[in-house]
Amino acid sequence: MTIRLEHICKSFGPVRVLEDVHLGFPERAFVTLVGPSGCGKTTLLRILAGLETATSGAIWHGTEKVSDLAPGKRDVAMVFQNYALYPHMDVGANIGYGLKVRGVPRDERERRVREVARVLEIEPLLARKPRQLSGGQRQRVALGRAMVRKPWLFLMDEPLSNLDAKLRVTMRGELKRFHLRLEATTVYVTHDQLEAMTMSDLIAVMDHGVVQQYATPAEIYNRPANVFVAGFIGSPPMNFIEGARLGGGEVAIPAGDRVVPVAASSLAAGADRTVRLGVRPQDVRIDGAAGVPGEVTLVQLVGSEKLVDLDLGAGVRVTAEVKADLPVEQGARVRVSLDPARLHLFDASSGRNLAA
Amino acid sequence: MNQLGFVRQTVAYVVLLAVTFLICFPLIWAFSTSIKAPKEVMATPPRLLPAEATSANYRNLITGKEQYFRADQAYVPTTAAPQHFVSWFTNSLIVSGASTLISIVISTLAAYSVTRFRYWGRRIVPYFSLLGYMIPSIVLVFPMFLVMAQLSLVNSLWSLTFGYVSITLPFCMWLLWAFFRGIPIELEEAAMIDGASRLRVFVDIVLPSAAPGIIAAAIFSLIVSWNDFLFARVFINSIENLPLTVGVMHFFEGTHVDWGLMMAAAVLMTVPMAILFMLMQRHLVAGFGAGAVKG
Repeated sequence: MTIRLEHICKSFGPVRVLEDVHLGFPERAFVTLVGPSGCGKTTLLRILAGLETATSGAIWHGTEKVSDLAPGKRDVAMVFQNYALYPHMDVGANIGYGLKVRGVPRDERERRVREVARVLEIEPLLARKPRQLSGGQRQRVALGRAMVRKPWLFLMDEPLSNLDAKLRVTMRGELKRFHLRLEATTVYVTHDQLEAMTMSDLIAVMDHGVVQQYATPAEIYNRPANVFVAGFIGSPPMNFIEGARLGGGEVAIPAGDRVVPVAASSLAAGADRTVRLGVRPQDVRIDGAAGVPGEVTLVQLVGSEKLVDLDLGAGVRVTAEVKADLPVEQGARVRVSLDPARLHLFDASSGRNLAA
Repeated sequence: MNQLGFVRQTVAYVVLLAVTFLICFPLIWAFSTSIKAPKEVMATPPRLLPAEATSANYRNLITGKEQYFRADQAYVPTTAAPQHFVSWFTNSLIVSGASTLISIVISTLAAYSVTRFRYWGRRIVPYFSLLGYMIPSIVLVFPMFLVMAQLSLVNSLWSLTFGYVSITLPFCMWLLWAFFRGIPIELEEAAMIDGASRLRVFVDIVLPSAAPGIIAAAIFSLIVSWNDFLFARVFINSIENLPLTVGVMHFFEGTHVDWGLMMAAAVLMTVPMAILFMLMQRHLVAGFGAGAVKG
């Protein structure tokens, strides 16, 4: 059954934290709420869990309205950022607590706890207390506690942010595998766009309590709805050139004489206007003979790639991501070309994508 | 271990032993006096170990049969102190136990309320409560006596119980407030999502997490009420209703002071608290909550 969030608004006193959030989660989807801190993503998750009440709006699970139910009655599960394991209970009791509260008989409880522990490979830890576990193990126990009840909705609040970088990558894969195995809808909150991109079926990019775009990762990456989404998703972030003039199938970059051809698909919004030009570092090339002249101001090696900061004059600066073996020195003068098919044109005042 | 390390450790132990002995000396001396025969108590030079140990003082305290109070002796005091020792002891136990129980139950609920529920004044309550604790007992005791008189509670164990609660409750509440604030709210939220009611969350999750704080508050409350002299002196005016602290003072009756008897009483008075402390001290280490969140 699909989950629908209808016109959710939330205010804390005079502060509006969610503005008319209207989303639908398909059954068994992995949906990520992503955005900078303070964008309202955690509040939205807590409203889904029932820990906060929306000021207005409703949540539907199929035909059942769940937004009036207490957290314990919704049959959802949540993994907290700090795991929130009960410190005085051993791992087995932690995982089984939800079943115990719901009056599941001891035999069945133990069987199900053991089963979950086997899946998560934490069976040998069942008798330990949370304080005797490593970060990764605590993470698994928290997952186990959520999994054991077989909920229809899984809520995860930045579950990887307390792990070290290496473990985070491993757990990212595991979380995705657990999701596929569980056959429940997962709503995942993160501020890390990479986590959002790699794990999700659908991403809701949020800012200032408003869903800026809700689409698949590929759609969000390739056709960002506005400047905020374009700048937030993708690493290194997209380059923006302000005050570019669109006209005659070309974009004129400020300083007049620099002109970049534009692919026909980007021209839908009509010609002759001032735009904000967006281009991802991966779509900036510096190895050709054609293009606008620029000076290399900084070169950073990141493994197989190099990040090259370029000054095109008249205050226009862009970053290019190029292969690490491309010989380029700080101070060198190069020709910079932008992939015409991969340019993003945004309305200069509203920031809306002109092609969208 | 090298030679220097050994010397260092030895010196450290010697110093520690010396300090420990110094601190424990009054208790050691009290015990030593309590097992001395009367003639040896005031002997010069004083001896730490009695030449012959006797349990007479303890027997007399507990059975209440003390030779001084025999009818044929000329200097029978008007108040027959040792006969009441057991009832004083019982009174102390009852009053300390009851006031601690009341204090802990109320302060736990109150502290939880001010940490977790949102209502006007919840931030200021704990500070006011601490302020209340800072008013000296001597200022409180006489107005409270008048209140007790109006309630017809004077000379009852209830007057002491309420008196002690009024002192310990504010501090216990402040202490537990600080403790509850340290319990991550996510623990409670996790339990609620697991399906537990607010009450169940309180019992299953909050109370065990706050156990070190509750034990600390209880020990504080027990010590205050067990050791109180002032309230008992003012509120109680019949010898059989006295708690130990004021009761033992009756060994000073007249010109005669029975040091042996008094020291035996002092030892018996200290023992319950000492045992309690030894049993509880490991719970006082607040490392209990470590590992609940983050790591």
